[in-house]
Amino acid sequence: MRISSRRLGVYTIALVFAIVMNFTVPRLMPGTPVDAMIAQLGSRATPAAIEAIKARFGAVDAPIATQFVDYLKGLATLDLGVSVKYYPQTVVAVLSRSALWTAFLVVTAILFSLLVGVTLGAVAAWRRGGRFDTIVSPLSVVMIAVPPVIIALTTLFLFGVSLRWFPVGYAYDPSLDPGLNFAFVGSVFFHAIMPVLTLSPYLIGEFQTTMRSSMISVLGEDYVTMGRAKGLTSMTVMFGYGARNAMLPVLTNLALMLGAVFGGSIVTEIVFNYPGLGLTLFTASVARDYPVIQGQLLMMTMATLGANLLVDIIYGLVDPRLREAAQ
Amino acid sequence: MKTRHYCAFSRRAILLSATSLAVSLMTNGGVLATPAKAEAMLSMHIEEQTSWVRNFNPFDLAGRRQSTMDFIYEPLVIFNADDGGKPIFRLATSYKFSDDLKSITYVLRDGVKWSDGQPLTSADVKYTLELMLKNPATDTVGVGETVASVEAPSPSEVKINLKDVNTEFPESLADFPVVPEHVWKDVADPVAFKNENPVGSGPMTEIRRFTPQVYEQCRNPNYWDAASLRVDCLKLPQISGNDQMLALLPEGTMDWIGSFLPQIDKTFVTLDPKNNGYWQPPAETVAFQMNLKTGNAANAQAFNDLNFRRAFSLAMDRASMVDVAGFGYPVASQHASGLPPRFEAWRNKAAEGAADEWMAYDVGKANKVLDDAGYKKGADNFRTTPDGQPIAFTIIIPNGWTDWIDDAQIAAEGLRAAGLNVSVATPEYEQWQKQLLEGSFDVALNSRADGSTPFRGYYQSMSTAFGGRITSAATRYSNPKLDETFNAYRKATSDEERRKLFDEIQVIVADDMPMVPVFNGPTWYQYSTKRFTGWVTDKEPVMNPENHDNNRMRLVHLLRLKPVQ
Repeated sequence: MRISSRRLGVYTIALVFAIVMNFTVPRLMPGTPVDAMIAQLGSRATPAAIEAIKARFGAVDAPIATQFVDYLKGLATLDLGVSVKYYPQTVVAVLSRSALWTAFLVVTAILFSLLVGVTLGAVAAWRRGGRFDTIVSPLSVVMIAVPPVIIALTTLFLFGVSLRWFPVGYAYDPSLDPGLNFAFVGSVFFHAIMPVLTLSPYLIGEFQTTMRSSMISVLGEDYVTMGRAKGLTSMTVMFGYGARNAMLPVLTNLALMLGAVFGGSIVTEIVFNYPGLGLTLFTASVARDYPVIQGQLLMMTMATLGANLLVDIIYGLVDPRLREAAQ
Repeated sequence: MKTRHYCAFSRRAILLSATSLAVSLMTNGGVLATPAKAEAMLSMHIEEQTSWVRNFNPFDLAGRRQSTMDFIYEPLVIFNADDGGKPIFRLATSYKFSDDLKSITYVLRDGVKWSDGQPLTSADVKYTLELMLKNPATDTVGVGETVASVEAPSPSEVKINLKDVNTEFPESLADFPVVPEHVWKDVADPVAFKNENPVGSGPMTEIRRFTPQVYEQCRNPNYWDAASLRVDCLKLPQISGNDQMLALLPEGTMDWIGSFLPQIDKTFVTLDPKNNGYWQPPAETVAFQMNLKTGNAANAQAFNDLNFRRAFSLAMDRASMVDVAGFGYPVASQHASGLPPRFEAWRNKAAEGAADEWMAYDVGKANKVLDDAGYKKGADNFRTTPDGQPIAFTIIIPNGWTDWIDDAQIAAEGLRAAGLNVSVATPEYEQWQKQLLEGSFDVALNSRADGSTPFRGYYQSMSTAFGGRITSAATRYSNPKLDETFNAYRKATSDEERRKLFDEIQVIVADDMPMVPVFNGPTWYQYSTKRFTGWVTDKEPVMNPENHDNNRMRLVHLLRLKPVQ
């Protein structure tokens, strides 16, 4: 499973591009963190307070070149800096708090959607043209198209506000303290149900569609016919022979979808007041908190690039044909 | 075998029932254990944040939690705007100006202790004032401009020497937080210090529990006024916006809130008609403020012409702004002086009459006034200045403030009907504020903060001294006669003198119309009587009822509340 140097080269170029973009994009927005802080005071701001804020955080108005050099220096020492909005908390502290929650949400959503989507796709392909297929497959395409914001607001209003079945916000019941006990873990899962259900339709739709098309091509292969001829049960052939091979394109898709899921999770987190990276990025953008925005964008880029690299490796491991080709 | 089993069972059963009987007798005995009194926990919502940060530093205006003032740090003296500005003495029992009016002595209450048991003395007040004078970054009150020095002649007296005669000084000191010297003298950077475990003098100083989603602020064990305090804890859940508040309301867990709830009867009162209530009395004056020093020469010429400002006012459909854009919550301005309804007691009827005619909605008259003043229509059918320069301006509103955006649209329609080239822009809130402070805007819809008497609102928004330095003073209006009257007021020694001078101020402002008042926005205040009673309501309008950081009377409101038995 050697990664070709060309592949590594591509990843390095992507990383350099990401580093430069992470620095430039936040600064393209009009206004600076100082403006945001002064604005927060509203009409309470006395002239002295305004001057004090400018004096304390004036460093953000330093020339661009100086800022860029500081940024690169920080990256080299893995020091992402200090947040402006949550001064004097470090960016790492701010992000690590929220990264855990988003990771939990995203992983749960992906696992859940993978299970459901792959099964639906496999069954739909097995009975292609049948009643199941004609209903489920177009529905999947629709689910891909519906924006997460609509699903989020509908579920919140229906299940949270009207029916009061699920809690309307937070990662866990605020009256509980974090700990490895049944009450806390139960609360975490209970509060995650609606956000996960919001992220899932898009993912289920994607997995189902990819799985189905990949499965259809696999089902045409000789070894599948061989399996049926041998007299194996439909289930064994469908999953053991068909799905196992059809999964591979789905896995590649997974890495690409990581970025899309993060994007969708921003809206979900805002609607459900879920303390994840999406909410942090939103708050940081409004406050023009450059260090946090930079840090988060960098983290997300690294995560996506890393996921791609991982999938490449796993693909190589899982598919014997690629292993042979590499050797 | 069967018999033995039966006996064993019955023996076990007898033993079990005997034990349980004994246990129940002991616990229901009643004589031994008195039931613990349930804690009175008040759930309130003051500020919108996406995550709580543990910061109770009163000097950090932007970063402090908005339950810091009043609840952790007891004020010296506060003033009730709804009661003619009457003083309510808290940490201080009295204050007196010297004969030359250049110094003021406060007498502190005896026996007041900090929450850690140490006594609160004049040394603490002196220390805090000197800290603000030495370190302008901590000066949240503006003492750097008014105070020369401070002395502590005895443990219960503080003598503040003023830079100039200023009889308004006690009102400005209402927002002053007294901090304990024995804690703060060891703090290296008083602005960066988070003060996570505050030592305070107010009713709620103990931070019992703090997570990013909720925090609980509980009773001060050494509170001087503990006899009046019947609330044990404040619970503040993290709420990120109005939409989240609306989603939370059906749960019925909130007691004291201050949010913008559209169609409040439907979205709030019907959830629990017996307990849910609100009172949204008109608060600060919201006005269209023209930048009298704008960079655009044609606009500047127009804005500085009284006739133009009067025509602007005639084109304002205030009734629609209130009913359509504001859901009927605000109260339309009727007087050119822009005096907020809460200061009705200060109203000078002589300032009305002719001046108030310009507050009507009459587009035809607006057109006539502009025609008579020489604002002819140019080639594009929009008006120009008398010497032919085209007039075109944008009204800026903070993005997302839908009610104000609608108000601006209504205004723009009226102005266009009067032949003016007007558009509306909605920059982000921070950018809107920045443009007001920098003076890089033409026209904005803006409010001005009030004090406990109407003077502060007028002085800070229309004096040359404040012009452009704070967001309320965006017009950069400069009128020497008005400045003179303001200064005379600050030197006035009696209430009659102040009354007379403020009458003059109202006349000057009504006649010259520096800004165009349109309505007074509502106070955001909602409550529930499910767990607590004693709320201020419209049937008992004794004070400003909101729980926000700009209202010092919220301390007195808290002390009125008692838990439902």
